[in-house]
Order: sequence, then C-alpha cells, then structure tokens
Amino acid sequence: MSQFIESFLQAMTAGLLIGAVYGLMCVGLGLIFGVMRVINFAHGDFMMLGMYAAFYLFTLVGVQAFFGNTIGPFISILLAGPVLAVFGYAIHALLISRVSGTRTAALEGEGHYAQLILTLGIALILQNGGLIVFGSVLASIRTPLSSSAWELGPFFDISIFVNKARGIDAVVSFVTMILLTLLITRSRIGKSLRAAADNPTAATYMGIDVDRAHRIAFALGTGITAIAGGLLATNYPFHPFVGLDYVIVMYAGVVLGGMGSIIGAFWGGMTIGLVQQMSTIVLPTQLQNAAIFVVFLLIIFFRPQGFFGRMVERT
Amino acid sequence: MSLLRRPIVSILIFAVIYAAVSLSITNSYYQLIMTLVLVWAVFGLSWNLLSGYTGLISFGHAAFFGIGAYTTALGQIYFDLSPWLLIPIAAMLGGVAGLLVGFPTFRLQGHYFALAMLAYPLAILYVFEWLGFQEVTLPIKRDNPIAYMQFSDPRLYTLLALVMLIGTILLTRAVERSRFGMALLAIKQNQAAAEAAGIDTLAWKLRAISLSGAIAGAIGAFYAVVLLVVTPQSVFGMLVSAQALTVAMFGGVGTVWGPVIGSVILIPLAETLNAEAGTRFPGIQGVIFGIAIVCVILLAPEGLYWKVRDLWRRRQLSQPSSEPEDVPATATVTLLPVPMRRDQPFAQEDVILEVRNLSRSFGGLKAVQNVSFKLHRNEILGIIGPNGAGKTTLFNLLNGFLRPDGGEVLLEGRDVFARKPHELCEAGVARTFQIMRPFQRMSISDNVVVGAYVRSRTDTEARSLAADAIARVGLSSIADRIAGELSTKELRLMELARALAGQPKILLLDETLAGLGHDEADEVVAVIQRLTRDNMTVAIIEHTMQAMVRLVDNFLVLDHGAVLVEGKPETVTRDTRVIEAYLGKKWVAHAAH
Amino acid sequence: MLHIEGLSTGYSARPVLSGVSIHVEAGQFVAIVGPNGAGKTTLFKTISGILKPSKGTITFEGHDLLSTPPSRRPHLGIAHVPEGRQVFPSLTVMENLEMGAMTEAGRRDWKDNIERIFEWLPVLAERRAQFAGTLSGGQQQMLAIGRGLASSPKLLMLDEPSMGLAPTTADLIFDRLIEIRRQTKLTILLVEQRVAEALESADHGYVLEAGRVALEGDKQTLRADDRVRRAYLGM
Repeated sequence: MSQFIESFLQAMTAGLLIGAVYGLMCVGLGLIFGVMRVINFAHGDFMMLGMYAAFYLFTLVGVQAFFGNTIGPFISILLAGPVLAVFGYAIHALLISRVSGTRTAALEGEGHYAQLILTLGIALILQNGGLIVFGSVLASIRTPLSSSAWELGPFFDISIFVNKARGIDAVVSFVTMILLTLLITRSRIGKSLRAAADNPTAATYMGIDVDRAHRIAFALGTGITAIAGGLLATNYPFHPFVGLDYVIVMYAGVVLGGMGSIIGAFWGGMTIGLVQQMSTIVLPTQLQNAAIFVVFLLIIFFRPQGFFGRMVERT
Repeated sequence: MSLLRRPIVSILIFAVIYAAVSLSITNSYYQLIMTLVLVWAVFGLSWNLLSGYTGLISFGHAAFFGIGAYTTALGQIYFDLSPWLLIPIAAMLGGVAGLLVGFPTFRLQGHYFALAMLAYPLAILYVFEWLGFQEVTLPIKRDNPIAYMQFSDPRLYTLLALVMLIGTILLTRAVERSRFGMALLAIKQNQAAAEAAGIDTLAWKLRAISLSGAIAGAIGAFYAVVLLVVTPQSVFGMLVSAQALTVAMFGGVGTVWGPVIGSVILIPLAETLNAEAGTRFPGIQGVIFGIAIVCVILLAPEGLYWKVRDLWRRRQLSQPSSEPEDVPATATVTLLPVPMRRDQPFAQEDVILEVRNLSRSFGGLKAVQNVSFKLHRNEILGIIGPNGAGKTTLFNLLNGFLRPDGGEVLLEGRDVFARKPHELCEAGVARTFQIMRPFQRMSISDNVVVGAYVRSRTDTEARSLAADAIARVGLSSIADRIAGELSTKELRLMELARALAGQPKILLLDETLAGLGHDEADEVVAVIQRLTRDNMTVAIIEHTMQAMVRLVDNFLVLDHGAVLVEGKPETVTRDTRVIEAYLGKKWVAHAAH
Repeated sequence: MLHIEGLSTGYSARPVLSGVSIHVEAGQFVAIVGPNGAGKTTLFKTISGILKPSKGTITFEGHDLLSTPPSRRPHLGIAHVPEGRQVFPSLTVMENLEMGAMTEAGRRDWKDNIERIFEWLPVLAERRAQFAGTLSGGQQQMLAIGRGLASSPKLLMLDEPSMGLAPTTADLIFDRLIEIRRQTKLTILLVEQRVAEALESADHGYVLEAGRVALEGDKQTLRADDRVRRAYLGM
C-alpha cells in the first residue's frame, strides 16, 4: 500500500515540477494568442531554437567556462530568452505582421487562415533548417544537478525525491511567471498590451500603436517559451524536431487554460504536466502522449473556453 | 459547351505526355519520383476536396492517408489479401474515418477545428507506435507478383498512379460542376447565407470529408504498395499532412489543376534536392516546402493557378475588347415603368405570415419584445426604427438564425416557430444580406444557381429556375459576366435573384438599397415592386427613407424592441411617437410651440 | 480648430461621404445629427484615422491630420469617445482611465485630471477597481468619457453617446457633459441621433444625410426647419 502511495506522490511531484515548466511554455503561446489572436504553429520550433541557443551560449560562448556547470546552464537559459525575443520580433516584423494585426482587420476571417499557413511554413523551415545547421545528433545541457535529488521525508516510510535540476527548473519557471505577471498587470507596457488585446480599435483611439504592441507581445511570448525550452533541455536531450513533441502539449495547455488568459495558460500547462506524469501509473510510457491528446480533444469538444479563463468576456 | 469539353481534353493530353515521359525514363529512382508526384497530387486533390472547396483547413489529412497505408500493409501481412482488393477497402475505411472525424469536429469553430484535425493523426501515430508497428514491411510475393501489385517494372506503378490521378480528377470535376461543389463553395463564402439559402451545411460537409477521406485512404494504400515499408511517422506524421496542404495551396486552392501543378513543381524539386544535397543538407526537402508555403501565402495566397489566371485575365481586359458589342452599363437592367402604389387596405384572409408576441432577449437586454404583426400577400412592409430598435434581430428570428424565446410564427397558417434556417428557406422564407459575399470569379448564373438547389432535384432544373430568377430582376443580358466585375447595383440585383431562385413566398430584404445612388435605388425599387405584382411578399429593412417611402405599402415602426406603430407612410412619418423616437422628446415638445 | 474641407470617403464603389465640410472653432460645441447610414460614424473614423478618405483635407490646429498616423492623432489633442463605448472589458475602471492618459499631455496632467474626472463622474471613483466589462451601459459610457478626458484633450469627439441607453440614462450623460463643458470650456464635437438633445446645448449644428451636409445652422434655425424631420423620416 505504501508502495502505491509513494509512487502516486512521486508521480504527482514529478508532474508538478514538469508542469511548472510546461506552464511557462504555454504562457509564451498564450501571450501571443491572447494579444494577437494568432495561432502560431511555429511556436514549438521557436522553443527548439531557444534550446539550441542556450546550448551554444553554454558551450561555445563561454558561459560554461565562466560560470561553471552548476549555475552556467541556468545563466545561458536566461540569456537565451532575450536572444529569441529579438528573433521573434524580427520574424513578426518581416512576416507575421503581413497577415495579422491592423492590416487584416478588414479581411474578416481571411487573416486567420493565412496566419495558420504562414506559421506552418515557418515551422517547416525552422525544423528542417535546424536539422541542416545543428545536425541530428541529440544535444543536451548537462548539469550535475540533474543527477542528484533532495529527499523529502521519510514520513511514515514514504520518501519523495525531488530531482535538483527539475526542482530549480520549477523555481525558475515560477519566478519568471511572477515577473511576467507583474509586468503585464502593473507596467504601462503590460497594460497597453492588454488594452490592444481587448479592443484594438479603442486602443488606437487612445494613441496606442497596436502593431507595435503585437510585435512586443510576439517577442515576449517567444522569449518566454525559449526559456521554458532551455529548462526542459537540462532534463531531456533534444533535436531539431523536438518542437513537434511539444506542440500538442502547448496547445492543450493554452486551450485548457482558456485561450486569452495568460495565467490560465500557466495552470493549463501545469495540468498537462500532471496528467502526463500521473498517467504513467496506469499507462505504458508510449501512451502518455496519447493520453494528452485525448485530454486535448475532450477539452475542445466539451469545454472549449477552458477552465481558468478570463473573468470577463472580450469584445 | 465547348468550354466544358476542354478540361477533359487537357487532362488526357497531360496524361499522355506524362505517360510518354515516364516510359522513356529507365532510372528507377527517377521513375519513383514520377510515381510519387502523382501520389502527392492525388493526396493534394483529396485535401482540396474538403479544405479547398469548403475553406475548412484540415491539418490532419495524414490520418486518412495513414489508415489507408496500414490497411494495405496489415491486410496483406495478416490476411494475405491483395492490394487490388485492399485499395478499395482502404478507400472505404478512409471514407468511414472521414465521417467519424467530421461528425464531432464540424461543430467546432475556426481555430478549434484546425487544432483538432491536427491532433487526430498525431494521436493515431502514438497509438500505432505503442502497438508495435514501428516498421511494417510488405511481404514480397515471388510466385504471383502481379496479383499482389508487385511489378518488376517500376513504370507500371507510374501508369497505375496515372490512372488513379485521372480518376480523381474526373471525380473532382464532376463534384465541382454539380450542386455538391457549388454547395461547398457557398459554405466557404458565407456559411450563414448558405444555410439561409436552404443548404444543409452539415450534410454537405460530411459528404465532402467522407469522399476526401476515401480518396486519401486509397492513395495511402497505394503509397504503401509502392514503398513496401510503412512507418507511423512516414504516413501519419505532420510532414505528410503538410505536404497535402502545400501542394494544393501552392498550386491553387479550390481547383482541380492546383494540386497537380503544385505536385509537379514541388515534389521533383524537393526529391532532387534531397538526393543531390541530402547528405550535406539533410532536411532540405522540408526547407523547400516551408519556403514554398511562406512565399505562396504572402504573394499568391490562393495559389499559383489563380494568380496566373487573374494576371492573364487582366491582360486580356486591358487589351481592346474583342466582344461584338459593348453592353452599356445603363442598359444592363431592363427598366419598366414604376407601378402605382396600392391604396386599398389588404384583405384579412390574405395574411401570409402572422407573428404573435415574438420575443428574444440577450441576457438582460430585451432585443425584441412581444412583437406582433401580420404580413399580407403581395404586401411590401417596411420595418423601420431608430438604431438598436431590434430590426435586424427580428429578421434573424424570422429566418432562423436566432431562436425566439417566445411567441408564435405562422406561415400560411403553419407553425414555423424556431425552425432552422434551411428549413425556413424550404418553407418559403428567403433572405438577402447587407454584406454580400458573391463568388467573385464566377458568373451571375453560377452565383444564382446556389439559391435554386432548395427547390430543384436535378441540376438542369436548378439552372432553369436560376435563369428565371435572373430574368425577373432584369439581369439576363449579362448573366455570364463574372461577379468581380459587377457594379453595386448589379450585385444587389444578383443577391435578389439568388433569393428568388428558391421560389420563396416571402422575401426578407436586409438593406438592399445600401450603397446605391439615387437613380440606382429607384431602379432596384422598381424591380422589387414588379416582383410583388407577381405573387411575392416583401419585408424590407432599409435606412434610406427617401426610397422606402415610395416603395412600401405599410411601415412597422420598432423602438427598443417593441412595436411602436403600424400604418401607411404618410401617417407614420407624422406620428408624434415616431418623431419622438427618432428626434427626441424635446423636438416634439418644441414643435408644439 | 478642426477644419474639414470637401471630405469624401467610401469603400471601393460605395461613397459614404461626399464633399463634407465641417468647421469647429475653439471652445465651440458642435453637433452633427442625421439618420442612420448618413455617414456620421464614418466621419469620426476618418478623423481618427481608422478610415482613409479618397478626397478632401482635415486640419487640426494647423496640422494636416491626413499625414499623421492614427496612433499619433490623440497626442495632438483629439480624444475620441467611440460609438458603443468600446471600453477595455478585462481592464479595471482605473486601468481604463490610465489607458486614456497615454498621451504626453495626459501623463503630464494626470494628477489633476483624475481628481476632476472623479468629481464629475463619481460612479467611476466608486467602482475604480471593477472590471469595465461588468459595468452597465450608462456606467461604461461615463467611463469612455472619463477615458477621453484623461488624455487632456483640446477636442473631445463623442460618437452617439446615447445609443443603446435608456432615455433617462442618456439624459444623465448629457447633463454631465454639459457640466464638464461649463467648467472646462472644452471644444466638443458631438454626433447624435437624438436631434433635440444634441441641439439643446450646441452652438452650431450640421445635419448629415446620405453622406452630405444637408443643413447647417444654429439651434434656432434648425429647430424651425421641417427638413430636419424629413431627413430622418423621408417625407
């Protein structure tokens, strides 16, 4: 019996830890969708680029040499964020803005189709281009922290082990999330983003440059997900197609959380992480991902507005 | 008619040339490319059948493709069945899968539909991996290869693929020109309007996805036979779905030639690059597809075929006209003298529509409150009222877009309360819309015929009803002109014709005169009046009061969702309550001084 | 202050405004009335830059508005209170007002402005932490006006403030507006369907019909003219 409880609690802990990182990943997508109403198929691939950015910052640029193996990875992950944010800003300005925002406001539905297809094209370029540039050899960001764990307990013969690297990942996720929430809710830029999301026309009447707001949201969303990617990279090896593995996780989390709610996206991602880890108790590993799909489809069919959605309806 | 013959001829010419080229190639790798071009073209066509025509973008067609592939592979391994039998079975399974997928998923809107479609093949992929089908190889049959579709000469695969392509093209063309295709296009243009025109959109979408799935299943099965190895990633993977989408989108959406063009250009390009540079640049294929998609969506969003055709047309138009006579704009609508308005009241027995206490609220807002009125045969009733009075909501209730909260609606004595739009259309209620979305590239006849399907069994019948309707609005002389070249007045008349083609009893006209100049409005007013001479009843919402007062027999004035007053124009426009509603209480108070 | 000369706009083949000329002097209260579809909202959208005209000029205090990008125009001193309120529903009342103060002048005068806004529209002070989407129609209208005032405008443009509101609520809004004007001498351009109320406090009125200026004059002239009624009712 205690064996079962231990497995259960262990799975739940693992779920919470990975869920925090998934949550951050979903928040990045949620930002983009929430502010711009753009479905970004390439988001998983931006994350992949974030992983590689962190990797190269760590190994080639000298972060490892400078900061060592324990803190080094995390510094490079945090640096990868801004790097990808700049990349995202450029992609938006050059490509995405042509099929979204105020340019397509009059096109009524036509814009959405174009966004889906465009980001699909970008995804293909990034995935396959990544294969060419980075090669197919699995990479990972090694830190000695991933092979040691803290022990919680024993309480009544039950101990729970928290992998140190994953523990720190979760902490970094939470902290980033809190900083982002503060930015969005307190700062002027954050409020302008929310205003532009709520009602682009009225925002223009206020003197807010809505197109610029979109670029910033896209850059921010990309950077955030890149950081989440880097955190995942400390635990799992990755390759140029890794984005595909997480696309469904990201969308499931965002939809679960209620499209348009950033905090909801975080909890949505967290839930997906929990579902994934806890399903290992009953399902074989290969079906874990299938479990996520089932959850995803169920949400879309029975509660498309999600669970943690906004309190107030959008115009 | 000669135009109709041409596509079939082009198809045959294409087939002959392709076969000739393929027969002359001896290198087996290039031969394989020739075969694959056709496979992806058919797959693209199957995608086109659903997504190109209806506008519902499917990112998950790999689901059907993969099902087909595994049917053949597993069917041959476990049941020792021949692909000659398995391909038709795969088609059936693909069709069934289409129905199973479509039925729940079509309820979803926009993004959610796309995401769900994305999820299906990926979910199936994981299941197949778990089931242990990582790599399935078709067994080689040495003693009876032809019975198992195993040809020693790879050119035979190409020929077989060519046969499948031709079959698919003919099938697609047949659909395109029939009411099936027209219904799908109408759904793509404006689903609400299609419903209002009597088209059962869910039924047609299910037919489309089922046929699409069947074709995808069949070609997936063939693909397995050609490659002899099936892995989950190679038939259920995202790149597979993307490929269907890309060749169709690149070549041209919503046309038979699109996927063929796209496939002929992109596949050899990708494969050759893969072969030449594949070792140094693995993944070059995907990059090419990605760039192709990005370029197409930014530069020619509907695909190469349409872009080229539009450019060609524009060049033709800018050249001196080769038409025998230039039909002057003013002569397009045959004018008849403006009939006199009736001054006698309508007889009581002549009530065609009776509305009693119709209500509808949104949350706390009473959009329509206890509205009652009678519409008499051949009457023209104008529904007016200040902004937000509930006029459009009333129309939406009358034609089924909104469900009333309470009340009664009797059409010729029959209860039609809370019926669906296409049912109401069948019962005889037709509606036009403020924002028109015609098929830009199609003729007036094609645009109008969609409205006739509700009233006709065969396509010939539909065409004749359409021609009739076009004549009634006076557009017969330009029935072949395409919608993109029409003036606003002509477009409005075309909308009217589309509504008439279903032989309705009541016409609900929503801002039919919007955007028309003074004289143009008069012309349209004359057309509407002529219609009511001829067994038609009209209810019209319009803001241009000048035209309305000359058109209508009676006004029904709404304010804040309730009926304020009903009566003749002369009376209503001087009624204190009406003036108050429009100009404010203080105006009346002041005028009294 | 605001001079519109020969303005024409429209979507492709449908002209919505033809040759409209309207002048607003500093300190004036100008009302534009007319039936639905006359082009009133199109006029405002053109002034704000959401729509581009095909012909004509708009100058504001000497600046050529047509060459100013839409998001810059509020910074020149034009506040647009849009048709249908258009508040930011998932932002609080206070945050909505802060959004109004995004202009340079708005930021500079924020402290004074917010005090006065709360004085004129006390319901906003009471509900400052409430999400704007949960306010009633009348409250949202007051919020939209407050938001406009928060930008420290030189010209306040109101597009059909009484639309969708019960007559008593609409009257209340108007009273507030008149009070604000009395205290600030703000220049106001008002578009309204309810003619009498609009002309009540206006210095000058324009009647738009089918995209043209059909009549203009002060309130005495317009009130006595039956053509106004005919513009609305057709005969």
